[in-house]
Amino acid sequence: MPIPHLNGAFVAMLALSLIAPKTTLAQSTSDLINDTKDTTTILTYGMGYGQTRHSGLRGINLDNIGRLRPEWTYSLSDTRGQETFPLIHDGKMYVTTHASTMALDLVTGRQIWKTLVDYPADTPRVACCGIVNRGVALYEGKVFRTTLDAHVIALDAETGNELWRTQSIDHKTGYSMTVAPMMADGVLITGISGGEYGIRGYLEGYDPDTGVRVWRTYTIPAPGEPGSETWQDGGDAWTRGGAPTWLTGSYDPELNTVFWGTGNPSSWNAATRPGDNLYASSILALDPKTGTIKWHYQTTPNDPFDFDTVNELVHADIDGRKVLMQANRNGFFYVLDRATGELIAAPKFVDKLNWADSIDLETGRPKETDVAMKARSGEQITFWPSALGGKNWSPMAYNPKTRTIFANTNKFGMHYKAVEPQYRPGVFYFGAEFSWDWPDGDRGELRAFDPMTGVVKWSDSIAIPRYSGILSTDGGLVFTGNMDGEFEAFNAETGDKVWTYSTGSGIIGQPVTWEREGKQYITVANGSGGVYSLFSGDERLASVPAGGNIWTFSIVE
Amino acid sequence: MKTVAIIWRLCAISFLFGGTIYADETAVLSQAEKTYQTLCSHCHGLKMVNPGTSSYDLRRWPKNDRAGFYASVINGKNSMPAWGDVLLPGEIELLWYYVKTRAGKEPASFEQDAKEPDQNSVDGPDETSDLFTTPGTLVACLAKNGGVMSGRRAKGGTGLDYELSRALAEALGVALDVRWFESEQDEESTPVKEAYALLAYKVCDIFPGFALYEMFVDDFDVARAALPRWDMRPQSLEQRVHVDLRPISVTHPYARMEMGVVYRNSEFERKIQKISDMEGLKIGVEQGTLAGVLTLRQGTEKMVSDSVTRNPGPKFLWQMEQGEFDAALTTTGAYDFHKKQNVMSTLILGAYRHPLGINLSIAMLESKKALRDIINPLIDAMVKDGTMAQLGARASHTYAHPRKPWLLPRLTLQTLLTLK
Repeated sequence: MPIPHLNGAFVAMLALSLIAPKTTLAQSTSDLINDTKDTTTILTYGMGYGQTRHSGLRGINLDNIGRLRPEWTYSLSDTRGQETFPLIHDGKMYVTTHASTMALDLVTGRQIWKTLVDYPADTPRVACCGIVNRGVALYEGKVFRTTLDAHVIALDAETGNELWRTQSIDHKTGYSMTVAPMMADGVLITGISGGEYGIRGYLEGYDPDTGVRVWRTYTIPAPGEPGSETWQDGGDAWTRGGAPTWLTGSYDPELNTVFWGTGNPSSWNAATRPGDNLYASSILALDPKTGTIKWHYQTTPNDPFDFDTVNELVHADIDGRKVLMQANRNGFFYVLDRATGELIAAPKFVDKLNWADSIDLETGRPKETDVAMKARSGEQITFWPSALGGKNWSPMAYNPKTRTIFANTNKFGMHYKAVEPQYRPGVFYFGAEFSWDWPDGDRGELRAFDPMTGVVKWSDSIAIPRYSGILSTDGGLVFTGNMDGEFEAFNAETGDKVWTYSTGSGIIGQPVTWEREGKQYITVANGSGGVYSLFSGDERLASVPAGGNIWTFSIVE
Repeated sequence: MKTVAIIWRLCAISFLFGGTIYADETAVLSQAEKTYQTLCSHCHGLKMVNPGTSSYDLRRWPKNDRAGFYASVINGKNSMPAWGDVLLPGEIELLWYYVKTRAGKEPASFEQDAKEPDQNSVDGPDETSDLFTTPGTLVACLAKNGGVMSGRRAKGGTGLDYELSRALAEALGVALDVRWFESEQDEESTPVKEAYALLAYKVCDIFPGFALYEMFVDDFDVARAALPRWDMRPQSLEQRVHVDLRPISVTHPYARMEMGVVYRNSEFERKIQKISDMEGLKIGVEQGTLAGVLTLRQGTEKMVSDSVTRNPGPKFLWQMEQGEFDAALTTTGAYDFHKKQNVMSTLILGAYRHPLGINLSIAMLESKKALRDIINPLIDAMVKDGTMAQLGARASHTYAHPRKPWLLPRLTLQTLLTLK
């Protein structure tokens, strides 16, 4: 990671952190920025603000991977899907479920504290795609998380005691939170879920000390605001326009810019909301202190396909340019200039894609096929990739040294027909009828490819698609998990599967790696569930039990 | 509380979809699938196919357990949230259709749904056409937990239905004997089923407090029901014995159950002429009740977002007393009972009444039509000369005269949205 140029605010912050009596608890802004440099901690979602999920550790490598064994296991006491991203600091690991936050002893896996999360019994009605939580943020001795009923909570990192709790919004009309919040430039930033319930999406900044909301930026502009001209229905479609922000963004401290993706516009029926529908299905660059939008890039204008653009935005330096990369649900892999939002490349990263021919690098807009037109006009069509996307939320990894993306991709389409949507607060607002177009064979594929060209280096096809995150290491390994419950390691160069371990429940968690006293460890949550499990109707999953655990692995001598 | 429970059950069991709305079964299935997809698919899977590990696999639901299905959907079960306040009329029937046909893959009608012989099923005593089952005595079935309508006391009883039963016995020149039963609201029981079961088993001659709703009288389609417990119930009867139901007849109405707006703050003065006039107040929504549904359907968006949802029952108004919310639409009977139980209550019932109300009558077996024909003129006279209102006042009851139509027609979505 390059040394950031120090702007005024940043210097002031650094100075503060030097003056202030620093306990071992403090995770200052500079600690967060330098997360990737200290392999004994994990302080940011995605292992670094750039979310590369790549580690320079090589203690676990191709030579000794055969001796990778569980070090400890911790039961999450929960049968929902587990998507938590573990953070590590000061000898503790912080993990979440929808119903609890835990601090674990890094050495033994023993529970140090556990704080339950209560939410009203009706809340799951507004959780479209799994009762999940994706983890915490850490800052100056506090642990931050969101709750399914759209509250933001701060806990004491030592005791788990609640320090403050702020309601973001009333969940009853379709709002919920599963996102891991993010600390950037001293502001706690959160997103919101509910794109299938006719919400109006937003991002928020909170004061981490008090829980006071310092800004809210709507992802759908109100009439008269910039971007409102892209809502041409002439009515109130924008009030239910969607654009949720349910996955954690990335942060460039040098540009002091937060990047955050937005979800689909709603309803899915694009004819009810003529226009491009900003800022749905877009990538936003924002000022963390104020929430002001610096630039935006929309991937799928007037999206009829539920092509959320929330997927993780991974930072890289490619050909001398600072870029961010996203494997979009729509099947294209976007490479943008981080400073300007200019589109640099947009290769396909799936084999079958029929809604557009390509992305015009001049205009940045898709060259759509008649499938997209027909979808908008209400005809029965079949589109690829499906609404679950060429890749769903499960985060990819990027090895900057070999310039390789590793991503779990989907190989199936969707039968689709737009219908008149019926808005009722707090229930699904689809405006479409749909079913799956399954291929004869495998439905998923782990892919290693070049981000600029999409050229595949290797792939590993699989019957039931993987929905786990990916971890890449300098040990020449790529880790991920599958729905059958196997935690897997691949040779990063050849794609050979070099190791598996059966964890007993499906894996949709996010693997991480860390080091303690010179020894490397890998941690991942298992626990079947999540969107594919709920929506696919894949009956093969019936033989994989539910039940989440935190697994930590190391090499046995 | 019977009044609350009856209203609640109105939403729960009565909106059977029928040929008037749907041309054929394909149309029903199509609508059922849309409803299922909107409300249930995100946990139970598209077309009801899911792995069954995190969420219940609905294809396992017993096809003959309609009551259990309704109870789970309306009230929630384990990690399943309650949907009673969200469901529109007709939706639960569509969902049940979808579940019992396994997403349309299996036939719609099942012999075991109603007709299959059940070893727990018993017949009541032999048919008799006598005016009174016990000569010289009018036997009334009254719920001992019937709120302002009926309640047992050390000597005699209390409540409007008790007072009415006494007055009728006196007018008929016979003794009154009350069978006090325990009304139970669970997966199998509803007040209507209890009435049918008690009458079929000839526990009593009359069942006052019967709601005059089309779906409870002419269109009632339940073949068997569980008997509730009553004070003189024979030991030999099994706990959850089911009886075959028999046709009933009903008298003219003697009172009307209505819904009004209850406020917490006595200083508050506001003209309420429709539900949306409550905007600006923190509204309590009585989950799963007709009042709760009306609040959500007829309230403004702001009202709904300012509202809190609470379980139905006596605790509901107590929560308002405690300050959890400021106003709610509820039955006048629920308010009366709350005032009776909480002398210090500061809650007040506004003058507004929702136009949707239900007349109350006395139910008896169809074979006792002769008794009905004697009682009808007595009731008409008591309503007309103000005796009923006096009886109501004695029972601390906010009495309302019956209104036409006497038999409430089947409620439709249209009614719920427009009858303000």
